[in-house]
Amino acid sequence: MDNKPKIAFFQCQWCLYAPEDQEWVDSRLPENIHLIKVPCTGRIDPLFVLNAVQGGADGVVISGCLPEKCHFKEGNLAARRQLDSFSSFLDYIGYDQERVHFVWLDLQDRGRIQRELADFESQISRLGPAESLATRVPLKEGGAND
Amino acid sequence: MIGTGLANEIRAIPGGENLEMCYSCGTCTSKCMIQQKLEPEYNPRRLLRMVMMEMREESYANPTTWLCSSCDLCYPACPQKIHISGVITAVKKVAVQNGLKTPLHTAVVDQQTCVACGLCAEVCPYEAITIEIRKLPYRGSIPVAVVNAGLCMVCGACGAACRSNSISLPEEHSDYELIENIWSWLNPEGALN
Amino acid sequence: MVDAARQPLIEVKTYTEVEKVEGFVGNFKVTLREKAKYVRADRCNGCGDCAKVCPIEVPNYFEMNLAPRKAAYIPMSQSVPLIYNIDMDACIHCYKCVEACGPLEAIDFSMQDKIVEEEIGAIVVATGFSHFDPSPMEEYGYNRYPNVITAMEMERLNNSAGPTAGSLIRPSDGKKPQRLAFINCVGSRDKRFVESCSNFCCMYSIKNAVLAKQMNPSADISIYYIDIRTPSKGYEEFYDRARSMGIHFIQGRPAMITEDPESRNLFIHTEDIALGKVVEHEYDLVILNQAAIPQPDQNHMSSVLNVAQSPGGWYMEYHPKLRPMDSPTDGIFFAGACQGPKDIPASVAQGSAAAARASRILHSKSWQIEPTIANVWSDRCVSAQGKVCGICERSCPYGAIDYTQGKAAEVITAKCHGCGACVAECPHDAITQLHYTDAQILAQIRTLLANKPEEKILALRCHWCSYGGADLAGTSHFEYTANERGIKVMCSARMDADFIYEAYRLGAGAVLFSGCHPQDCHYITGQVIGAKRAKRLETIFERLNMTPGRFRVEWISAAEGDKYARVLNETQAALDAIPPADLHAEIERLRPDMAKRLTRLPNIPGVQRAMDHTEVMVNTILSREKAAP
Repeated sequence: MDNKPKIAFFQCQWCLYAPEDQEWVDSRLPENIHLIKVPCTGRIDPLFVLNAVQGGADGVVISGCLPEKCHFKEGNLAARRQLDSFSSFLDYIGYDQERVHFVWLDLQDRGRIQRELADFESQISRLGPAESLATRVPLKEGGAND
Repeated sequence: MIGTGLANEIRAIPGGENLEMCYSCGTCTSKCMIQQKLEPEYNPRRLLRMVMMEMREESYANPTTWLCSSCDLCYPACPQKIHISGVITAVKKVAVQNGLKTPLHTAVVDQQTCVACGLCAEVCPYEAITIEIRKLPYRGSIPVAVVNAGLCMVCGACGAACRSNSISLPEEHSDYELIENIWSWLNPEGALN
Repeated sequence: MVDAARQPLIEVKTYTEVEKVEGFVGNFKVTLREKAKYVRADRCNGCGDCAKVCPIEVPNYFEMNLAPRKAAYIPMSQSVPLIYNIDMDACIHCYKCVEACGPLEAIDFSMQDKIVEEEIGAIVVATGFSHFDPSPMEEYGYNRYPNVITAMEMERLNNSAGPTAGSLIRPSDGKKPQRLAFINCVGSRDKRFVESCSNFCCMYSIKNAVLAKQMNPSADISIYYIDIRTPSKGYEEFYDRARSMGIHFIQGRPAMITEDPESRNLFIHTEDIALGKVVEHEYDLVILNQAAIPQPDQNHMSSVLNVAQSPGGWYMEYHPKLRPMDSPTDGIFFAGACQGPKDIPASVAQGSAAAARASRILHSKSWQIEPTIANVWSDRCVSAQGKVCGICERSCPYGAIDYTQGKAAEVITAKCHGCGACVAECPHDAITQLHYTDAQILAQIRTLLANKPEEKILALRCHWCSYGGADLAGTSHFEYTANERGIKVMCSARMDADFIYEAYRLGAGAVLFSGCHPQDCHYITGQVIGAKRAKRLETIFERLNMTPGRFRVEWISAAEGDKYARVLNETQAALDAIPPADLHAEIERLRPDMAKRLTRLPNIPGVQRAMDHTEVMVNTILSREKAAP
């Protein structure tokens, strides 16, 4: 785990159609990849990504349904808008845009997520560990940061 | 008599017209993710059948009525071109008219902190959030966001869009839970604080 | 086929296209294009030496492109006649074949397509069907997943004369599949692609499954279906046998196939309707039983033969139940799936029936046709007076009118089917239809509307559909208004605007213009002509401010007795809703306009006499009415 990059993996809970893939993500994910399951990519507050970045994640993967096949009609479009502009902010504070990766999965993409994660991991390994950006205000229960 | 009461009511609602074209092939059910991931009892084919067979109470109580998120994956797959989510939404509408409530824990707005910026209403895919004038303690009559529980499907887009942390979602995907999740992984000792 | 080729009275013409069909029953003139084979039929002995030396390989269409063939080829090993053919699109002109053929000198690169004209008595169309290509159905991944194949490909792989000599292998790795799935209704019974049921796929999927099971008894074979349809003799027993052999039948239409990218195995996701549960099963090979569709050039052929097409594109028969092998054009018959998807027993039965029908023509010196044909009064036709017209020729669905500028139009009696479209369309009233003359129909209208016309609904009904619908309403005891007065004509195309003007001039309360549904018209496109006219009349009456509901246009089939009754009751209700004084005023207001449109009427031969005669009848009716208590 030490020299492997730490990857935060935000997964929309609907994007994997094949039960086997979901089972793999749920229980057989490599240790350096951490799963954060959300009801929809639209649920991903840029703050969550920022938390992962500040906490020292070397890369962020966000997987969701194909744009026209969102389980919540257009939640992934909202995510795309919000997170795209947010990634330019990350770039601004010194977090390489290549470290944030979107995967839009079709229903028939059996076995694709494993490949995507492996590819991304090797890409991050090539980039090396992310610079520490950790300055963080402690969080109180019941609410997020200011 | 079969096909006269509830079935007629559903057919009269836009979206419910093609109800009886269903020949029970099961494409919709196997295309749907909800049965697989959330609720094994979820079955659009069977709900259509229940409506046709006048099983009013059972249709209202069926999880299919309440969990369908209108993603319309089944619509282009249906060989009979039935707009299945249209039918389900019609059943839900009739059920709500009859006083039933969704079993989902929908998004809740903290009206004391809401600034009525409208970002949540803009991102909501179901148009479940509107900005309305409410009379509130300490704040007087001011506009705030209001969630229509009959329409909300709990996708969480509003929670991600809110800039004043005024929207709370069910516990398993609240802001606190998700940030705690990230932070406890990156800082196993410290956790939060 | 071999038998047919050996029969001295049968001439088999292969690689030949029908370019033009002219003439009529017993006297067709057919233009054929005999395409150049570049091999002389009188010299080729079918030895195949040319194919052996040919260096060019192209996909073999007959083997569903699973195997190659040479540019010098025969379409399949049992080809009749056994004459080789050179595919000029692929040939590189190396002339190795000429060398190999040697002293036979059968190969002739100078051959050209030959246009031949033949005198033909009767035509049997047996062009068969084609297969739906499942690639647009993304969910099944055909063309994307190598191990998803179609039933026709399976058929070739399973055939001992096929590309694998009968050993069923899967395309991705050449291994023998242990787990097979058949999916029925791919593209058929599907409103997105082919709405109809393809008739024979249930049986051939069972047949293919049984064959595969016999080859490999340990194989795990499933058939996914919506409904299994086994209506013919012995079919249900065959289905029973398949089940007893251990073939699994899973009710449920698969929503999707996914593929394991490593093993290339396939996963079928379906709801097992019997269990009410979504299941996922893994297979090595999936076979899609795709829908039967008309031949790609069926539209073109239907215009060459001048026969109509049913919805879906199949050739339309004269009558679906009573004359399924006859086309609407006398002397042209259908055999097999070109008229609609059919299995082998049904095709054989229809083919035999068509042959019998055709031989009846060949053995007759004369031919009886319907007596209701059209006739031209050549003295009234304006073409003879030097004016340009030709409306009758354009309106005839059968091409039965011979129009030459400067000469009076002429009806080719043997081709006329008596729809009456030309009669109603002729702007100079120069054509009449035997048994349905203007005089006869106008006399009927005047008599039916003799007494209290404002209370009456005059219903114009076509012989084949709406008249049948009215008949069914009667025999089924559907109640409808007693104010309906019906007149039968052969087709809605015959419903002359003059009839409707005359009805309103006489003060009719309402008029119903009814005929077949567009796809059911007995006279190919007669309904289209009628519908166009009805549309025009609707606009005219709208412009004249006639109360809506007094002129109604409805398409009612012979099976829709309930609709006929409902339409009349609705028309009656619309009529009742108009206050009598208003109705009276409206009739009086429109009367002069209608009369103006009818000034030409008395000039039509026979009309004046019929009018005088009906005057007597009308008066008799009225006086009897008055005498009654």
